[in-house]
Amino acid sequence: MQYRLIPALRCIASLCIALGALAALPAHAVDAPEERVQVADAFIELHTGPGRGYPVFHVAARDEWVAITLRRTDWFKVRTASGKEGWVQREQMERTLTDAGSSKTFRDVAVDDYLRRRVELGAALGAFKSEPMLKAWTAWRFSDSLNVEATVGQVQGVFSGTTLWHVNLNAEPWSDQRISPFFGVGLGKFKNVPNTSLVGAVTTHANLANAVLGVRCYLSERFVLRADYTIYTALLNDAKSTEYRAFSAGLSFFF
Amino acid sequence: MRHTLIAAAFLTFIAPFVSAADAPAQTDQVVVPKVERRDVNVPKIPSNDFELGAFAGTYATQNFGTSAVGGVRLGYHITEDFFVEGVYAQTKISDAAYRNILPGGIFPTERVSLKYYNLSAGVNVLPGEVFIGRNRALASAVYLIGGVGTTKFYDQSHQTFNLGLGVRVFAKDWGALQVDMRDHIYSVDLLGKRQSTQNLELTAGLTFFF
Repeated sequence: MQYRLIPALRCIASLCIALGALAALPAHAVDAPEERVQVADAFIELHTGPGRGYPVFHVAARDEWVAITLRRTDWFKVRTASGKEGWVQREQMERTLTDAGSSKTFRDVAVDDYLRRRVELGAALGAFKSEPMLKAWTAWRFSDSLNVEATVGQVQGVFSGTTLWHVNLNAEPWSDQRISPFFGVGLGKFKNVPNTSLVGAVTTHANLANAVLGVRCYLSERFVLRADYTIYTALLNDAKSTEYRAFSAGLSFFF
Repeated sequence: MRHTLIAAAFLTFIAPFVSAADAPAQTDQVVVPKVERRDVNVPKIPSNDFELGAFAGTYATQNFGTSAVGGVRLGYHITEDFFVEGVYAQTKISDAAYRNILPGGIFPTERVSLKYYNLSAGVNVLPGEVFIGRNRALASAVYLIGGVGTTKFYDQSHQTFNLGLGVRVFAKDWGALQVDMRDHIYSVDLLGKRQSTQNLELTAGLTFFF
């Protein structure tokens, strides 16, 4: 009887913590002062949801004051003086004036944001020694031309599967150009698991070192295209190491 | 003496012009503009691009029966059309159908735990509104989603592709009901021959945006 009680209590405790965290979130949003802007264009359209597919149900005319309450992607939820709440697209919000009478520069995800990017997340498809490979990475750009990247990869071959992870230090000397090359080195771990139907199959664990050369191309909005060529060296033991070459291409987005 | 008198007279005439910046009291109009430097505090606009949700439903494996599945998802909405989602879920599969025919069955125990996790990218293809009753309209979106991940069961990992579609109905700005249909495709060689299997999953869940 007591063995079933402890997991149930743990479940209830974690549920209470989750509910407490959720209750805390909206309270914080209400306490913060809301920003008010005045419509300077002829009118701005309020949609029922944060997307161009949602219908327009209200229009705020010139010189009306609206308060901004929330943002999701490129849409801002505003509340007019009469109490109507709706979503306005960023392009329409750009033509509004603040309390002081100046036009507010809404952070448009343009090339400027790309230059100031800090965190990037991406995924790529490729070939690891001619076997299909998928990898996902997250990168933190701590200076204009250097970034730290953590990658997790998976290779599915006919006879075995490999999972690998590595942390790289990349240098991108011309990171402000639309098409910019980069190179880096890193360390990680490599695990190769052969299919169970093979006889005498043994799982291999090895340390991994890699060198990568690639190119990044800024596409549009928040997306970046990337292609790279990597040389992996799996250090199986003190005497033996194997080398693999991989090529991949993928897409990433940044915050 | 005369020189000093002339110099003094000259200076008194020059003085107002020289010190005009310091003593404008000579003229009538005293315009001292008060430049008030206001500290413009731009309040941060809260955003909710991230989502966290839980779901439950049924998972049908091609060879090992249908079972209940439960999991969690974490996602990020990049633009109004695209989003990425990571999912982790767990279910229990059984080889009861084979135990009736083969003496030992396939698995060591009748029920074996299956866990999967994946990273997918989705597209909101049909945003719109759904109408409940006469007076209520809720924002909704139909999305297509696909991605890649891993399925683990019986000490084996299988690289899995998933493809599916779902519906998200927003009850509030911060919460949505999500119904998701996914096809998990992976290769299994437990039954002698290596073949690609399609495993359909249908789940419903709640998602919170923060």
